[in-house]
Amino acid sequence: MLMIRAIIRPERVGLVLEELSDAGFPAVTKIDVMGRGKQRGVKVGDVFYDEIPKEMLMMVVNDEDKDDVIKLIMKNSKTGMKGAFGDGKIFVSPVDEVYTISSSTKGL
Amino acid sequence: MKEIMAVIRMDMIGKTKEALSIQGFPALNCMKVMGRGKKKLDYTLIERYLSDGIEISSPKAAEAVSEGHRLVPKRLVSMVVNDDEVKKVVEAIMETNSRGNPGDGKIFVLPVSDCIRIRTGEAGEQAV
Repeated sequence: MLMIRAIIRPERVGLVLEELSDAGFPAVTKIDVMGRGKQRGVKVGDVFYDEIPKEMLMMVVNDEDKDDVIKLIMKNSKTGMKGAFGDGKIFVSPVDEVYTISSSTKGL
Repeated sequence: MKEIMAVIRMDMIGKTKEALSIQGFPALNCMKVMGRGKKKLDYTLIERYLSDGIEISSPKAAEAVSEGHRLVPKRLVSMVVNDDEVKKVVEAIMETNSRGNPGDGKIFVLPVSDCIRIRTGEAGEQAV
């Protein structure tokens, strides 16, 4: 199993969540985060903002679903024709074990 | 080393903290998050409240109801422990949170490659 953590623009969260549940991946956790990227933040006039509000979507999926989920998030969180700086990043990390608390069983 | 991430109910955090500290794991990180699971929820009750014009006091709950996709407030507990302690922690969380209802939560166990204590600079297993 793999954990997919995507940091995306807050205004795109609604669209991404809708598309994910339509595609059959309803289980998501959303976390409010602040961060900056390679561009060191945003410069507006003389002021440099290096803590930009973003949303982190966290989900654990089976290995074979990884590509579908990443493609979906990528497609829906891109802004403009080619995408722009600040659209976000997706991180994938391995998960050793998953437990469901309600039924005390192992697995997704 | 393993990182244990558990998504649990908002009102279970106190009991979980207590159970974990009894087992000898007082160190944890806790976050308020919004989430949804596999099961579709029945929101007719909340919708009836809304149509009657009764205000929902929590802005987070109101946000969750007003949006198309419904997210529920949850707590995310994350802690890093050594490999041999994973089973004990998972069992402690499972025992306190399990009520047999959907929405009780999930536990994820992720590998962690290193851990460094900032105060002393020591790394590895003794820094956990």
